[in-house]
Amino acid sequence: MSTRSFHSLFMVASCAGAALGCYLVSLRVASERAALDNVETRIVLAQRDLRVLQTEIGTRGRLAQLERWNVKVLALSAPAADQFLGGSFELARLTQPERKVDFQAPVVLASAPAPAPKAVTIGQPDTDDAGAPTAQSPRELIHEASLKTETREVPAKPAAAMPAVAALKSTDGPVTTAKPVAKKSVDRPGLAAVKTATKKSVDKPLTIAAKPVTKRIELAKNDPLAPLPEKHSHLAHKDSATGQ
Amino acid sequence: MNAPSPALVAPRPERLRLVGQRRQMLTIMHQRLMFGMLVYAGIVALIALRILWLAAFGDHAGRKEGLISLVPDRGDIVDRDGEPLARTIDAWTIAVHPQKIIGDKLEISRRLAELMPEKTVEQYFALLRSNKPFYYLRRRASPNLVEAVNALGEPGLAIQREPDRLYPQTTLAAHVLGFTDIDGHGAAGVERAFDKYLSDPATRGTPLQLSISSRIQQALEHELGDAMTTFSAIGAAGVVMDVHTGEVLAMTSLPTINPNTPGQGTPEAHFNRATLGVFELGSTFKPFTLAMAMDSGVVSGPGQVYNCPDALPVYGHVIHDTHPFGRTCTVAEIMMESSNIGTAQIADQVGTARQKAWLKKMGFLDRVEIELKERGRALNPGSRWGPFETMTIGFGQGIAVAPLQLAMGYATLFDGGVYHPPTILKVGRDHPLTPGRRVFSEDTSYRMRAILRLVVMKGTGRKADAPGYRIGGKTGTAQKLINGRYSQTVNITSFAGVFPMDDPRYVIVVMLDEPKATKDTYGFTTAGWNVAPVVSRTVSRIAPMLGVAPDMRREPNMGEVLPFVHETKE
Repeated sequence: MSTRSFHSLFMVASCAGAALGCYLVSLRVASERAALDNVETRIVLAQRDLRVLQTEIGTRGRLAQLERWNVKVLALSAPAADQFLGGSFELARLTQPERKVDFQAPVVLASAPAPAPKAVTIGQPDTDDAGAPTAQSPRELIHEASLKTETREVPAKPAAAMPAVAALKSTDGPVTTAKPVAKKSVDRPGLAAVKTATKKSVDKPLTIAAKPVTKRIELAKNDPLAPLPEKHSHLAHKDSATGQ
Repeated sequence: MNAPSPALVAPRPERLRLVGQRRQMLTIMHQRLMFGMLVYAGIVALIALRILWLAAFGDHAGRKEGLISLVPDRGDIVDRDGEPLARTIDAWTIAVHPQKIIGDKLEISRRLAELMPEKTVEQYFALLRSNKPFYYLRRRASPNLVEAVNALGEPGLAIQREPDRLYPQTTLAAHVLGFTDIDGHGAAGVERAFDKYLSDPATRGTPLQLSISSRIQQALEHELGDAMTTFSAIGAAGVVMDVHTGEVLAMTSLPTINPNTPGQGTPEAHFNRATLGVFELGSTFKPFTLAMAMDSGVVSGPGQVYNCPDALPVYGHVIHDTHPFGRTCTVAEIMMESSNIGTAQIADQVGTARQKAWLKKMGFLDRVEIELKERGRALNPGSRWGPFETMTIGFGQGIAVAPLQLAMGYATLFDGGVYHPPTILKVGRDHPLTPGRRVFSEDTSYRMRAILRLVVMKGTGRKADAPGYRIGGKTGTAQKLINGRYSQTVNITSFAGVFPMDDPRYVIVVMLDEPKATKDTYGFTTAGWNVAPVVSRTVSRIAPMLGVAPDMRREPNMGEVLPFVHETKE
């Protein structure tokens, strides 16, 4: 009974409710949109500020200004043609350690015929080093020579000089006194020293290095212990490669 | 109601009529009411619908217009890497409405003279007392000044923001960019040429991208400016151009202006020597003569021999050389030592008609083709173009072209002989490459490489060499025409170079106007001494930026020319 009489009222109320709901949705949408607009406006304003700042920085750091600073203070110049590298190998080559003669290296003498007395002298220069500056240049010469001979004497020496390491690479240039070769051999030991200092594979290169000796004549004749003429070709090849 | 029943009383006829009228009136009234109600309901419905519509789709009241996108008042100009070269900013402007001043005018004049000392107190006072309605005191005022003026608190002083054109790089590429007048319209350069694009609301949102590269432009301007100072030249011009597309990567003319304050530049500085100025560029023309001769079969190759006496009397004139051979010489040697006598003979063999046709095809007889409005018309002998003029044009005297045109000619020669009109806009999707036209054969183009490389390796252009970058090119020292006579002392020196010569990619043309000799040049004012080093320095700076890797082991095929060079000379 009562429900029937309130029917129209319910209808009105529900209609009103629905309308209000719709309106709230629309209001919500409108407010969201307004917020979005605000954000967009802020973005545009920020962009404008960015533009202004960029312009200012660009103006203050204009190329003419940089150039002026460069001329007055920095003095930087364009890289020369030989400062460009072709690839990673050329880059790696730059990291090659500096080559220097290690004066502390054990001195091994060249002449093969009388190994025994030389072994004695080897010990002496080491001790002399501290005191005698005059001994410098001869010692250097001796050092070079020793580097060359060392290869041949590998079997003989070890007892005398444990750190043969340093001399190790000299094996590659086994020629007696020829100057260019001597130069090469000077270069080698430094390298070898550095390498050996870090690596333990010292022994292996020794044996390999010993081989090239065969290439040249006189030394091989002198030294009864000179080993292995077999790998001749290999070694020659290796020599040329390292020589470069 | 009280109407009597018809049975009792016979209705009176008037009464009946009245009843009928009344009924009629009622129906009419009902109709009208109904109509009015409908109209009212309709209006209400309309309003309601509109409100609903607005609620659903409309904008809200607080919405701000015009800030949704950032469209400047005038379009930006950027370089090929997107670096801004010209921008429009909001600048502060200080102006005065003399009639609206309410404070003490003398006092205000004093304060203004303190803040802006460009005018005296008297001048300010006279201005404030004048009848002018409006006067600009300062445009593009600094914020500090604006603050100080604002602190005066005078309502007659107007402080407002106005769009203003700013060139962040100041003088860089000034002649390319140009400047705008006080109304914001382009008055020179790109600003003038593309005024419509830059000011049209539809297009100004996207920046105009030029082919100029600001770093290359800076290198060129700096090196050229250095040389200009060193040799006390009155002017200089330079162009760097892409061989394959005709894009101008850098173009400068010195002395230059600051487009931010164009009014301060002298007329001399406003003159664009690279495009508007035309000059007799001398020996830089010789390669064209040789290319014409090779293309038309007159010269078979760099080994062809000519008689090169110390002086060549022809058509009533005598042609001289700066380095006379006094013997027979090959074409390679003629180019290497820049022999006028040899080139004149080659040009004579090519002939007037063919020379004209070729120069026409290369665009050397017309205005230079570029978007800028400042374009000079090339000068030539016109009706006096006889066999002797053909010879002089062969070595670059008697024809005047703009430096840009010369660059274009070299680009044509080394782009396999194909001409592309030079352009100041970056070639890309928006601005496709214009199809070229063939001028020289590809074979000629190829053979010219070794010849021009020879000039730099062993000839007059040795100082232009930059190790590893394989520059080839030609020096040019032209006597300047002063009062109708060729001066013996005043020169225009130029160098047109191409690099890397084994695969030409870029052309560089530099020119010095009236360079003087210095101690370092041993008194010489020829191109080999003053402009060639500019090319060397500029190329070693810009080539790495352009992606040209230096390589000491690459050269064009020099075997084509070296056998024809007499070696005992050097």
